[in-house]
Amino acid sequence: MTVVVGYLAGKSGTAPLNLAVGAARTLGTSLTVVTIVPKPWTTPSPARVDAEYAAWADQLAADSAKEAGRYLDTMPHRPEVRYHSHAHRSVSGGLVEVVGEIDAQALILGSSANGQLGQVVVGSTADRLLHSSPVAVAIAPRGYREPRGGVLTRITCGYPGTPSSADVVTRTYELAKLLKVPLRVISFAVRGRTMYPPEVGLHAEDSILAVWEEQARSMLAELRTGGVVGDEVELAVVSGNGWDQALDDAEWLDGEVLALGTSPRGEVARVFLGSRGAKILRHSPVPVLVLPG
Amino acid sequence: MSAPSVSLIEQMLRRRPLIDAPVAHGASQHLKRSIGTFQLAMFGIGSTVGTGIFFVLSEAVPQAGPGVVVSFIIAGIAAGLAAICYAELASAVPVSGSTYSYAYTTLGEVVAMGVAACLLLEYVVSTAAVSVGWSQYVNKLLENFLGHDLPQAFSAAPWDTEPGIINLPAVFLVMLCALLLVRGASESAAVNAVMVIIKLGVLVMFAVIAFTAFNADRFANFAPLGAAGISAAAGTIFFSYIGLDAISTAGDEVKDPQRTMPRAILAALLTVTVVYIVVTLAAIGAQDWTEFKGQKAGLAAILDNVTGANYWGTVLAAGAVISIFSVTLVTLYGSTRILFAIGRDGLLPSMFAKVSPRTMTPINNTIVVAVVVGLLAGLVPLDKLADMVSIGTLVAFITVSVAVIILRRREPDLPRGFKVPGYPVTPVLSVLACLYILASLHWYTWLAFAAWVGVVLAFYFLWGRHHSALNPRSADSIAADGATP
Repeated sequence: MTVVVGYLAGKSGTAPLNLAVGAARTLGTSLTVVTIVPKPWTTPSPARVDAEYAAWADQLAADSAKEAGRYLDTMPHRPEVRYHSHAHRSVSGGLVEVVGEIDAQALILGSSANGQLGQVVVGSTADRLLHSSPVAVAIAPRGYREPRGGVLTRITCGYPGTPSSADVVTRTYELAKLLKVPLRVISFAVRGRTMYPPEVGLHAEDSILAVWEEQARSMLAELRTGGVVGDEVELAVVSGNGWDQALDDAEWLDGEVLALGTSPRGEVARVFLGSRGAKILRHSPVPVLVLPG
Repeated sequence: MSAPSVSLIEQMLRRRPLIDAPVAHGASQHLKRSIGTFQLAMFGIGSTVGTGIFFVLSEAVPQAGPGVVVSFIIAGIAAGLAAICYAELASAVPVSGSTYSYAYTTLGEVVAMGVAACLLLEYVVSTAAVSVGWSQYVNKLLENFLGHDLPQAFSAAPWDTEPGIINLPAVFLVMLCALLLVRGASESAAVNAVMVIIKLGVLVMFAVIAFTAFNADRFANFAPLGAAGISAAAGTIFFSYIGLDAISTAGDEVKDPQRTMPRAILAALLTVTVVYIVVTLAAIGAQDWTEFKGQKAGLAAILDNVTGANYWGTVLAAGAVISIFSVTLVTLYGSTRILFAIGRDGLLPSMFAKVSPRTMTPINNTIVVAVVVGLLAGLVPLDKLADMVSIGTLVAFITVSVAVIILRRREPDLPRGFKVPGYPVTPVLSVLACLYILASLHWYTWLAFAAWVGVVLAFYFLWGRHHSALNPRSADSIAADGATP
């Protein structure tokens, strides 16, 4: 078993490496740094164009491994690291193949560079993987660094309260018990935007928010009474005017991870992030672990 | 369930305490007293213009002749007086919400249910009426662009003057708006402002073009049906002033309400009335009053006749289609939120106050409202709908005006952000003006109204009072009661 991190020289930054080292150490497994390089044409050509292309791809893989290695060497107590390169027409497709080949436990990705530091920004590769990965996907916020102390301090599980989502809580709870970290289950409550002019007062949405908070609290309490989680698990309803505010108000610890479940359509177990999950992901200040459905 | 330990009269008159009320709290800090006179007046204009003027003339002019101009003034005065009273009540009761919430905290449960019946009638039926008007303009657009309109069978109600089977575009609009509300869409202040500009723009365009065909002779026979006709038309027209109360409900967000509120109400009322009257004068000047009857997409049709071409009519129809869409969204929203408030107070089954985890919106009651509105819009003709809206609104306004008087006598020291100028005359005048218009409505409108209020009150006596959140706490009442802020 291993943890796979997708890495490309000059593109990924060091945030995913930080998260991957932490994940591998927490899970007690090795780390595999994977670089997906473009696939050369297999038909031979007399002009050796493709050989040049293949050489360039090899160079890219070697550079990536070297760069990642150089950074990983500076990190204290790093796990066993292997480097792997794989040729594929698309990065996301290549990562899915590698994950299958080497029997990985989780896939670690970085945020796109087009976002603010400290935020999870889903790039095109991550977006595809969030809708196709066969194993759990973890995404590091931009500029993520390993927490002081280097350990996972808590797992927070997002619980939407839909009928199928108790399963996610169960699995996160098992994971938390396995890793011996505390679990927190959060239901988010986001206020609907004010409608102008509403004719029923500008606070109509406040009462809907209040009712939803109440409903969410009783749903969370049912998790406990239903035996899904134990008494030591913290349950919270966090509300805000928008997803950004709600996520901000959730009081994150250094070294915390947010776990989200997905509901795939169909028989195959894979990650398929919903629209709600995407909103939470975008505003999360901590790494997000997206579990396959 | 525990047997009620309070008497029926006590139950009927009990008032909701302020502590449990959904007072604005942390979640809406961005709304703190930030609205000025201009913005407030724009809210009022935005929510008022468009509920009626695009299609009410073809219902009202045949009742009153050119004298319909006077009907607009009468209806405007009544609406303005009521809006001022409404503003005092809204500022005296520190709960957010509609007349229903104010009535519940000041006048007691049974009155609140009565008001709820009026309000539901007002919002639900006006949504239906507005979407029927929308369907006329959609049809007009289709005709102008494609050369065909929808067949009569699918664009008119079964009991219309020219009967059809169902009014499909109206049903479609209601379903579309319901879908948007389920998804959590809202109309922002910016969109509202754009809609106001579109509505006023096309109305001004209409007036300018229609005045080119102005013929003063058409006003020669000013009141062919006498004063009775004028007040009957005022009853029909009244619903085109619905939405003015949006100003009053925004009270707790307003800077310096004592000054801002009456100014905004007056400004909005004057603007709206002037626009309505100018449009009406232009329309009657361009077309003999007898020609209004049964005219669909009236304003666009007049433009076609005046210019002899259809592009101006097309522009107007497009403006109407866009802006009436937003009006439907807002009124449908209003109905769902009132139903939600009633459900939250335990006077309706708790399913009405249930929020869907998937969308965080009250899906159940949006669907119920949409189905009812859709049926009304599809099957009931416009003139019947318009009268039903007016009666609900007028009775609600009377309740508000009476509540102002009652509250002044019962709790004279209650801090009020805004006080009605010219008390006791203003609320009394408001009641009288509303009564005057009510008196002219048809007997069948009264009958339908009485039946509806009867049904709601019967429901209250048989079910609601046993399940009210104010009952001594039983398990289900705690569940329905919601959070204390």
